[in-house]
Amino acid sequence: MADARALPLQFRGSLALAVQQFPRNRAATIGLVILLAICIAAAFAPWVAPYDPIQIKLSMKLKPPSFEHLMGTDHFGRDVFSRMLWGGRTSLSVGLLVVGFAFVLGVPLGLASGYFGGKVDNGLMRLVDAFLTFPPLLLAVALVGLLGPDIKNVMLALGLVQAPILARMVRGSTLAVREDVYVTAARALGASPLRIVLSHLLRNMVSPIVVQLTVVFAAAVVSEASLSFLGFGTQPPAPSWGRDMSEARRYLGDAPWMFLAPTSIIAVCVLSINFMGDGLRDALDPRAWRTRRSVGTDK
Amino acid sequence: MWSYLGRRLLQVPLVLLVVSLMTFAITRATPGDPATIMLGMQTSPEAVTAMRKEFNLDRSLPEQYGLWIAKVATGDLGRSMRLNDRVTTLIAERLPISLHLACAGMLFALAVSIPLGVIAALRRNSWIDYLCTGYTVMGFAVPNFGLALILIYVFSIQLDWLPITGIGSSEAEQGGLWKHYSPFILPAVALGALQTAMLTRLLRSSMIDVLSQDYMRTARAKGLLPGTIVIIHALKNAMIPFVTMAAVQFGYMIGVQVTIEYIFAVPGMGSAVLNAVVNRDFPVIQGFTLVIAVFFLLMNIFADMMYALLDPRIRY
Amino acid sequence: MSLLRVRNLHTRFATDRGDVRAVNGVSFDLEEGEILGLVGESGSGKSVTALSIMRLVPEPPGHIAADSLAFDGRELLGLSEAEMREERGSSMAMIFQDPMRSLNPVLTIGRQITEVLRRHQKLDGAAAKRRAIELLETVGIPSAEKRLGAYPHQFSGGMRQRVMIAIALSCNPRLLIADEATTALDVTIQAQIVDLVKRLTHERGTAVIWISHDLGVVAGLCDKVNVMYAGNVVESGPIRELFHRPSHGYTLGLMGSTPRVDGTGVRRLTPIEGMPPNLIEPITLCPFLPRCRVAVPACQTVPPERRDFGSDHWARCLADLTPGDRAP
Repeated sequence: MADARALPLQFRGSLALAVQQFPRNRAATIGLVILLAICIAAAFAPWVAPYDPIQIKLSMKLKPPSFEHLMGTDHFGRDVFSRMLWGGRTSLSVGLLVVGFAFVLGVPLGLASGYFGGKVDNGLMRLVDAFLTFPPLLLAVALVGLLGPDIKNVMLALGLVQAPILARMVRGSTLAVREDVYVTAARALGASPLRIVLSHLLRNMVSPIVVQLTVVFAAAVVSEASLSFLGFGTQPPAPSWGRDMSEARRYLGDAPWMFLAPTSIIAVCVLSINFMGDGLRDALDPRAWRTRRSVGTDK
Repeated sequence: MWSYLGRRLLQVPLVLLVVSLMTFAITRATPGDPATIMLGMQTSPEAVTAMRKEFNLDRSLPEQYGLWIAKVATGDLGRSMRLNDRVTTLIAERLPISLHLACAGMLFALAVSIPLGVIAALRRNSWIDYLCTGYTVMGFAVPNFGLALILIYVFSIQLDWLPITGIGSSEAEQGGLWKHYSPFILPAVALGALQTAMLTRLLRSSMIDVLSQDYMRTARAKGLLPGTIVIIHALKNAMIPFVTMAAVQFGYMIGVQVTIEYIFAVPGMGSAVLNAVVNRDFPVIQGFTLVIAVFFLLMNIFADMMYALLDPRIRY
Repeated sequence: MSLLRVRNLHTRFATDRGDVRAVNGVSFDLEEGEILGLVGESGSGKSVTALSIMRLVPEPPGHIAADSLAFDGRELLGLSEAEMREERGSSMAMIFQDPMRSLNPVLTIGRQITEVLRRHQKLDGAAAKRRAIELLETVGIPSAEKRLGAYPHQFSGGMRQRVMIAIALSCNPRLLIADEATTALDVTIQAQIVDLVKRLTHERGTAVIWISHDLGVVAGLCDKVNVMYAGNVVESGPIRELFHRPSHGYTLGLMGSTPRVDGTGVRRLTPIEGMPPNLIEPITLCPFLPRCRVAVPACQTVPPERRDFGSDHWARCLADLTPGDRAP
């Protein structure tokens, strides 16, 4: 149980302390590294991918993994590895956009609901309840199916599904934090509601919000894959993890790498995000910090 | 207690109203005319107009909604635009199958999560505990359709032990026990995998919590047999949050089933909605979504009731 | 032969930082029908001693060792877990501090009583139920039959502890261990419970180990007292002897910090300064030395030996305590 050495004086801000704490959790660090690797590889797909993902080359179809084709080829002779990289661009960017959308929509809603209470709270939570009664995938299918398989619609659909959950969680945290003494103190000092919300409430909810956002991210990646799998998301011939899995169904016996590659990469992404989320949760919650001295706590 | 139940049930229509509005709004926001899509480009304008009139598509939006809601209140969910069957008939055909699948998935989840959760809690940090943690982590990470493909690959294609399709087919109906139930196995496992992960994790942490309580020490001081201690004293307490979550998860399952129904060609609620979305079959979309939402709400209320029933400290 | 013979009991817990010596060479005898008080502050090892006798200490990370731990002539440490299960609840029983937390919230009171009867006395359902009603009446719970179907949260604190006593005495144990049984109760209820225990155990000839940090209760109930500190018994003797002639620095400190209703004039309570020692490091000299007000120079160099004062009263203290030290 060897504990921390005293932290150097320059790292006094709470953010810096959090950053220091994170590497202690090994699984989280590995998760972060892997996730970053995938994200970067996907972002630079045009340069990193060894082959053109949509180039059909029937002579090379259904080849097992080899040195030339790390993950084999699909039924059109396309390099699976390249398709994975390009598919990642869609999946991961949708994931991040959904996170942003859910945040922008859900957090203010939850804050307002929790802080103002009363009729505002009641009304908003009824709305949230109704949204949550909808089976999320069906809602997404309906939205995307009916409005068109545009990436905007996918983002809208998934965001609308995730935002209520986030809102409810934020509301819960707000209710808990609202009654804390330092908020009353701030009000007594004449702070405006906006200021209270921003500097006091939000600060204390950073940990659960960030963790929930990682959950949203993972869920969004999986949902996007589900939608594409069902035929509602990315349209062919654009590479997409979900879509490729759907196409792999006919070739399950002949070319198992076709479905194993996207399945594994989705699983790896979700795992990394989850581990990273755990690490973030521990790093951002001062009570979980493992130091012997409490350095720089100047509340 | 009954007044609480009454109050909860009263909230149901309200939520359903909002849900119905949402579904209505989504379907009506669709670009393109459903009648034209349904009948195809070749049909005459008269046929299109006739269809539009039949399904009230020529009226204003609020009128359409009002008419539909009025009919719903009398139990009439309308008629499918594509199949010409009544929506209620279609639901009566499909709901039992979906429920069967959901039950199968839940059974699998319970059969795995209860022993695994209990043993993992009793033998913390043993290999079984790590297996359990590893399993739950994987359960969350692999999407259910990915798992379905893996299962199909291993058990149907490579080993040829289990069939892929067959739920609701005529040969399943007429065949023996195996023919009837074996098509459920793979989809149930794929469907229940996520639930298993969640429930195992919940039961494990619940049990760990319970096992550290003082009354467990009293039970041991009484010299009771280990089986009694674990099952009667510990599990009874740990099951309370477990049962509640299982009920809620069951409610969710019908909605989650969509991809599983798609892969295994199960003629259930999910695949019906899927087809209806593709075909712009509004009455089906609206009717089915409403029923799924009702089911989910009822399961939620049921879960709350269960909680009150199981924990004698709670009395509404 | 004594009912309970403890010789050189050592109980240790393995932790990341080393072994915690919770019980450090405790020896005592307990006769049939005798009431022994085990007194000391938190961390002195009294609860762990009791749990060690019942072998309720989880073994890892705990470890119980003794030259002898004999109950009714049988060596408890040599018994298998299954054999111990036969003893627990039937020949030896234990009640705990907080009855709300010590009773299972989802099982009825009736169930929690009858299960012991069915387990150890092999009574069937109806017989167990009748016996349970008898027991509840014995401990003074009215409308016993209706109460069988009630749950712990529906009872008050005092009643819950009565139920615990009923459970403990249901199979007529030879030994009853009460670990801070009245600490969590109101003072008036405390008195009732103490009286109840006194009466019932006297009637049945049950030996009792009464663990407490409350000297007042111990004085009214026990025949003999062991004072514990840092896992050791530092003083032991019949109750009157101990109160009239406390012969250890710690005992003295305890008495000085106990408020007394009798006694003339105003007296200051003298708390014992300092903190109990770290139980990980082995202690060679007197464990109480850092906090002792009556230490003598010899205490700094020599570990205290056992000094006998006659009539079974002894203490591990080098200081010769004069009446002056014991001044109120």
